[in-house]
Amino acid sequence: MTERRHELLILGIGNLLLGDEGVGVHAVQQLERMELPPEIACMDGGTGGFHLLEAMQQAERLVIIDAAAADDAPGSIARLRPRYASDYPPTLTAHDIGLKDLLSAFHLLGDNPDVRLIAITIDPHQDLGMELSPVIQQAAEQAVAMVLEEVDEFCGKQFA
Amino acid sequence: MSRIVVDPVTRVEGHLRVEAVVEGGRIVDAFSSGMMVRGLEKILIGRDPRDAWAIVGRVCGVCTSCHSLTSVRAVEDALGIVIPRTAELIRNLMECTIQIHDHVVHFYHLHALDWVDVVSVLKADPARTAAIAQSISTYPKSSAAYFSEVQQRIKKFVDSGQLGIFANGYWGHPQFKLPPEVNLLGVAHYLEALEWQKEIVKVHTIFGGKNPHPNYLVGGVPCSINVDEVNAINTERLNYVGSLISQAEEFINQVYIPDVLAIAGFYKDWASIGGGLPNYLSYGDMPTRGYAHPEYFKFPRGVVLNRDLSTVHPVNAKDKQEIKEYIAHSWYNYQEGNDAGMHPFDGETSLHYTGPKPPFETLAESEKYSFIKTPRWQDQPMEVGPLARLVVGYAAGNTDIREVVNDALGRLNVPKEALFSTLGRTAARALDAKLAVHYMREFFGQLLDQVKANETSTFNPEKWNPSTWPAEAEGVGLTEAPRGALAHYIKIKDGRIANYQLVVPTTWNGSPRDGRGQHSAFEASLIGSPVANLEQPLEIIRTLHSFDPCLACSVHLYDPKGRHLGQFHEE
Repeated sequence: MTERRHELLILGIGNLLLGDEGVGVHAVQQLERMELPPEIACMDGGTGGFHLLEAMQQAERLVIIDAAAADDAPGSIARLRPRYASDYPPTLTAHDIGLKDLLSAFHLLGDNPDVRLIAITIDPHQDLGMELSPVIQQAAEQAVAMVLEEVDEFCGKQFA
Repeated sequence: MSRIVVDPVTRVEGHLRVEAVVEGGRIVDAFSSGMMVRGLEKILIGRDPRDAWAIVGRVCGVCTSCHSLTSVRAVEDALGIVIPRTAELIRNLMECTIQIHDHVVHFYHLHALDWVDVVSVLKADPARTAAIAQSISTYPKSSAAYFSEVQQRIKKFVDSGQLGIFANGYWGHPQFKLPPEVNLLGVAHYLEALEWQKEIVKVHTIFGGKNPHPNYLVGGVPCSINVDEVNAINTERLNYVGSLISQAEEFINQVYIPDVLAIAGFYKDWASIGGGLPNYLSYGDMPTRGYAHPEYFKFPRGVVLNRDLSTVHPVNAKDKQEIKEYIAHSWYNYQEGNDAGMHPFDGETSLHYTGPKPPFETLAESEKYSFIKTPRWQDQPMEVGPLARLVVGYAAGNTDIREVVNDALGRLNVPKEALFSTLGRTAARALDAKLAVHYMREFFGQLLDQVKANETSTFNPEKWNPSTWPAEAEGVGLTEAPRGALAHYIKIKDGRIANYQLVVPTTWNGSPRDGRGQHSAFEASLIGSPVANLEQPLEIIRTLHSFDPCLACSVHLYDPKGRHLGQFHEE
């Protein structure tokens, strides 16, 4: 079993080459540039995959930021507390082999940290590009603010 | 006549769609279609060639660093940069890491459940599983109590109603042939592999600074070695890498290889199914005296035609007559017309979708039906991947490759022809991992020798500055990625990228037929295969998964919404 650390891991998921699909990674890169408390860790998870399993298991709490292909308007943000792999919204298939399998394995192994998911709805038809659209750029700012609330709650004090 | 649609093919989400036409219980024709658009090249044009590795590494979360490695090789080839020996060894160690990580994860987590029936695990006698485990391996976790605990874990998981990772299987299909005890062994090692893979990727973090997207550098590697320095690759970290290699040797030799051989023993009929194309291409890899000297690569470069193991044909990826990409059945336009073949140096990415409006029932195969272009070597279709690597190496007389291949054939008591099959492909991947971990140990020993000799330079700065570059240059980076032959072609003009084309393994294997009607590897491997139950086309899944298909890099943009595994309808 992996040893658990007193740590909140902020994990940004997404494909940086697919425009808004990369919003999770853009958000975590922004958080990486802030001076967060020592018990907070940031990780650019790219498009997911088994590589991330250990970091996810080691944390006491996990905040995942990801794009979702949900039915609501692009830029909408859902905050969820998934307990099983099937509780996650349809994420974009550009993640391919990575995320679904990773989450299934993560939940199969059990004894997991508490997971908070910040899912940002995007238009699933994305052109190739490394920039966010204005709507999603704004959603990324909101997502960062939500993560900072999670940071405060985890540390038991006001940080931001 | 029935038509089976499998979309997506990958166990997890994917973008590969295959349609198979079945007559009298056998596949008579097959269509492999990549349903995403390719066009990464467009992002790269105009950028600094020294940054390309970071961008191409983002193509896929699975084989990130293969693309980064191939990219720095392409730039170095264009500019004539030779990297220091220590950097070459570190790159090799990182590449071996991807190779074995990818193969183990593919086998246990994406392919084993095509052969191992999870549901039957609950019926197994753990004591008998223990006896089987101890008879095939010296791996220490082999007691009845251990297997009993695994069985309880699976029971608890199934009882919770959360099938999770096991949700997609055709459990109970009569094609599952393993006794419950061997199924339990397989599932136990599925869990062990999950734990082991967490360790081996740390090699990337140590040498590449981070994972899953480790850092690369044109001219070398971006890490410094200093045995006494806290922030460098020091004695402690080198020792740690040594221990990770030991764990990998144990896992590959005591778990992966014995499991594959044990499972293969129950499925020998699959040694004559799924062979497909008779041609195999390997670019060769694991340089020992520099990337410019393939004659000293651990894995030889070449082509084998018509399964003739007495001849290896030389490959020159820069020769514009050797490798061409066709679009006869792909949704693109070429300026020179639909029948033209373009060498990747002159590659064009001009989309022209003429397929049905999604969602649709079936593709119109007489026309264009894929976003993947069709690459050919000397106008011949080629299979690429671990099997091709071993076939080319075997034909080249490579003693390491011959030894592991002959040993496995002997243990299974099957002839060499068994290699050319679905089973052979899956076994070849395991043997490829065995070779990779063996070489990893060797490269690590050589790295320690370099450190002892104080040869710790990891970067050649001579041509770092663009003012030292010619006005125009072109180069190719070739890699044997886990899934096979990977090429990046770059053209540099006035210090910027003028063209960049990727020809990835799944382009070779998963492309549509060419204008002459020659099938590529996926389609060829399915034709002739039996399909016992049209509603549960397990045979198709087994053969396609034996290639380890990954479409993230062969095509890049998702278009129609994915449907679930095993869609089916009759015509």
